[in-house]
Amino acid sequence: MAAGARGLARGSAGGLADGAAGTVGRAGAVPWRRVATGDDAVAVAERGALGTSARVVVWPPGNLGLACAAADDVLAGLDRQASRFRPDSELSWLHAAGGGTFLLSDGLAEAVGVALAAARWTGGLTDPTVGDALVSLGYDRDFAAIGEDGGIAAATGGDGTPPGAAVAAPGWQLVRLDGPLLRIPPGIRLDLGATAKGLGSDRAVRAALAAAGGQGGVLISLGGDIAVGGTPPQDGWPVTVAEEPGQAGQLVRLAAGAVATSSVTVRRWRRGGAEVHHIVDPWTGRPADGPWRTATVAAATCADANAASTAAIVAGVAAEDWLATAGLPARLTSHDGRVRGLNGWPGPEAGTWAPVPTAAGSHVYAAGPAVRPGTRAPGGGR
Amino acid sequence: MDPSIRDGAGRDGLRQARRMSNWTAAALIAGTGVAAVALAHQASVAAPAAATGNAAAGAAPAAGNTAGASTQAGSGPQVTHSVATTTASGVTVITTTRTVNGKTVVTRVRHAPATADD
Repeated sequence: MAAGARGLARGSAGGLADGAAGTVGRAGAVPWRRVATGDDAVAVAERGALGTSARVVVWPPGNLGLACAAADDVLAGLDRQASRFRPDSELSWLHAAGGGTFLLSDGLAEAVGVALAAARWTGGLTDPTVGDALVSLGYDRDFAAIGEDGGIAAATGGDGTPPGAAVAAPGWQLVRLDGPLLRIPPGIRLDLGATAKGLGSDRAVRAALAAAGGQGGVLISLGGDIAVGGTPPQDGWPVTVAEEPGQAGQLVRLAAGAVATSSVTVRRWRRGGAEVHHIVDPWTGRPADGPWRTATVAAATCADANAASTAAIVAGVAAEDWLATAGLPARLTSHDGRVRGLNGWPGPEAGTWAPVPTAAGSHVYAAGPAVRPGTRAPGGGR
Repeated sequence: MDPSIRDGAGRDGLRQARRMSNWTAAALIAGTGVAAVALAHQASVAAPAAATGNAAAGAAPAAGNTAGASTQAGSGPQVTHSVATTTASGVTVITTTRTVNGKTVVTRVRHAPATADD
């Protein structure tokens, strides 16, 4: 990823020239907005990405430009590879081909491999074959497009569109991945939402660190799924745990690994008069309806945390047992607002900036995140 | 053999043995010092590596590094303000106010931030 930063104008942001009005970024790229947090020891920047927001935090602050450029490359690559909403993505090309055997790019092969490993690990609580179930529920475009006309009540389907029949996931076992070779039966639409953002955060942390020559520390948040790497600040990275952006929440410190949150309180829309959300129970094809509305999980990698937080919502009453078996610190919030900390997650008595325990090794990366760099052109080969 | 010669040879041998012993002792002391320096150097190199948090960077944490077992303290700067929020993904709440027929209507709209790159 360091190569991606070559040829940039040298500036005060460690490789990138500062842009206008507190922005930073490569010429022609989406600019990153600088964010003031009150600490000069770190530099923070944010921009929209993948239908959500991305945030880069680094120390020393001079590394910000390089880290943003590295994150740009990762986000653009992931979008080209795995977006379900982009007609020219490799995944869309694969869906359009309608089943068969495909030679994937390294990047999409890793993304599908992580999704399948997560499905195996969670016993099917997450399942990348829920694509058709989500489409049937109306989640067939970027969520920004669903909500842009006026909130929940007026979102897609609010006009009386009849609900599609619930479509249970065909099952992740039907999809076979052998290295970059994917075999997928006709009619299966993949959705990598349970792991893709976490994967993106993991990749971006690795890329940003490489760009900085391993110097300092970095935190990447992609839609609230956070991975950290390098040397953390003293006592860890200060992070807020909240159900929705802008809310007050628990303050914790994350020294290593990752933390991710899944919730049914957001990405909701109406379909045929009923309110639905984006976390689907693979066995029923309907939105998960367990007792927990929000799950935050700490894990060794962000893809693990992303998958585990989704799995906890789908698991419902079995979430606590599953998380205990997985050995992951977690914070669950019930529909009536009760908060439950599990497996070492710091309780309120731990006070402000309680440390989140370091979680065990990855369950979704064979031996750490894949190290195969780069991707081929969108569309891959067949 | 003349006893005086034998005594002289014995004294020489003793002197030589003492000299060798001194050299050996000096070598041992020097060797121990070098080893200590080398160990100290290795320890100082290993310490930051252990604090880097290898999980998100790629490698799986060491076996036995289980939940609740440890928290890694960094050697980075002191950071006292929250730098990020883990939250449900990317949906923001925007409150807009407008006047309809003389009445103020407040609308809370939730949607993902508009993005220019996707």
